[in-house]
Amino acid sequence: MSAAALSNHIPDLNLITYYAEKQQSFLSRFSPWTKFAFLIIIVLLVTLTGNLTILAVLYLVILIAYAAAHLPLRKLFGWYTMPIIFVISLVGIMAWSEPGNPIISFTVAGFPVTLTDNGILLVVTLLLKALIVVTYSLLFLMTTQYKYFSAIIYRIFPSPLDQIFLMTYRFLFLTLAMTGSILNAVRSRGGGLIHSIFIQGRMFAEVFALVFIRSFERSERVHKAMIARGFSGSYGTVTTIPSLRITEYLLICAGVAVVLAVAITTPSFGG
Amino acid sequence: MTIIRTDPLSSPHCPHIDKERELIHVDCASHIYPDGSVGIHEMCFYVQKNEIVALCGPNGSGKSTLIEHLNGLLTPSKGNIAVNGKVISSGDHTDLWKEVGVVFQQSDDQLFAPTVLDDVMFGPLNMGMTREAALNAAMEALEAVGAADLVQKLPNYLSGGQKRLISIAGILAMKPLIIALDEPTSDLDPVHSGMIEGLIRELKQRFGISVVLATHDLDLAARVADRVCLVRKGSVFAEGTPAEIFYDEELLNETGLLPPQIVTVYRTYCQMQEIPADQHPINIEEMMSAIRGK
Repeated sequence: MSAAALSNHIPDLNLITYYAEKQQSFLSRFSPWTKFAFLIIIVLLVTLTGNLTILAVLYLVILIAYAAAHLPLRKLFGWYTMPIIFVISLVGIMAWSEPGNPIISFTVAGFPVTLTDNGILLVVTLLLKALIVVTYSLLFLMTTQYKYFSAIIYRIFPSPLDQIFLMTYRFLFLTLAMTGSILNAVRSRGGGLIHSIFIQGRMFAEVFALVFIRSFERSERVHKAMIARGFSGSYGTVTTIPSLRITEYLLICAGVAVVLAVAITTPSFGG
Repeated sequence: MTIIRTDPLSSPHCPHIDKERELIHVDCASHIYPDGSVGIHEMCFYVQKNEIVALCGPNGSGKSTLIEHLNGLLTPSKGNIAVNGKVISSGDHTDLWKEVGVVFQQSDDQLFAPTVLDDVMFGPLNMGMTREAALNAAMEALEAVGAADLVQKLPNYLSGGQKRLISIAGILAMKPLIIALDEPTSDLDPVHSGMIEGLIRELKQRFGISVVLATHDLDLAARVADRVCLVRKGSVFAEGTPAEIFYDEELLNETGLLPPQIVTVYRTYCQMQEIPADQHPINIEEMMSAIRGK
């Protein structure tokens, strides 16, 4: 891991891959299939339930697993910025129009605005759902070597989605490195990311365009190099994914049972 | 030494080629890019079995365009190219990539797969090898370049030198007749440059593969090449042994190149000692024996 992070609020692909390749946590010993199955289980759970207690417990369990895997907690909280902004931008306004017991009421330009307990509950529930999925996805990525991750995608996704994914990941690094070097050139002459967005907006538009153009040029060169080795439209990975142990099968069964239990007891899903 | 043409616009004089040993014959081929710029112009070039040919010339002289023709990435607008008996003319669909492997200048352009093993197996699988045969070919190639320990690595975490070795392994695994390397030592530290230089020799000596080397590094060309072709304005301008070419100051000036350091050192030494520079050493051993002889 040599490149500096672009921002403390954007997940750092280099750091994520560094942890994934280091393979030192107890979760690294689990089969990637198990972790992938749990991703599906968790997505199903947060989709099915709106119960705050279940969501809070689930979040805490994942957070504890994240910490126990010796992954960087402080970084994780920094990376929460984007999902939090996303959730608040989605339901920030809806929270003020939810029916329920009023907590705060005031008038804006002659219109009464009321924040209710259900409004707060809505924001907290959606925030928890988002953070659960984000935290587990990062946990999955940071404890699974990329070769297994790409092999899972290759086996599950249809073509050309698998092809797109197989090629994209490697070049995300190159594009990030390219963006990083352009930003370093900006910073070395007194520019800064936030500072310059306001003052040098035009220049940043040019930086963005430059990254795009350079990426396009590189993709042409990569394509040429692939053709030079006989590329005819598709390629695959030869990685074999470690299979599941008995305990992992049992864990997945337990996870599925929890999902079924939640589905049965949730009123809108037949409970 | 053969002067193929005295003026870039004059008609070329193609050298006599030993047909028995001929692997590549570029016969007065020209290529004009869609924007009208000339890539190569009436290029005459050949490669024989088990030889290392260095293409030396300034930026934009047509070295990389020629290499892309050898692999079939480009086809000539005029003239033709014969590779191992297959003649390719304008617009022909080719599978020359099976015969001529290309190692590109930027390794990052070549390494795209999730792991080193996937990348090295990419070419063999495209050739129709079974997965097992491709795996064996990949492992043999990785061992040959001394990078077998990197097999499960992500290409992103390799150093520049390691990436270059993996790029060569990716081509070697396809077992081509000829390998063309575009600036193989650019941006490398001296240790990795030395490894690549050793590997180029090994390609010829151990694997019997002919090598085409496009390079600005005339010192490298002097040390490894059997034959040097000077490229200027899209054409091979002159060819000969390294000693013939690199001791011809006028020729190098005309091509826009500076002589290798060994030539400069030898000439400076002779000048300082006030002795005639009548020998043409092109490596340290030859220079030492030339100096001792005086």
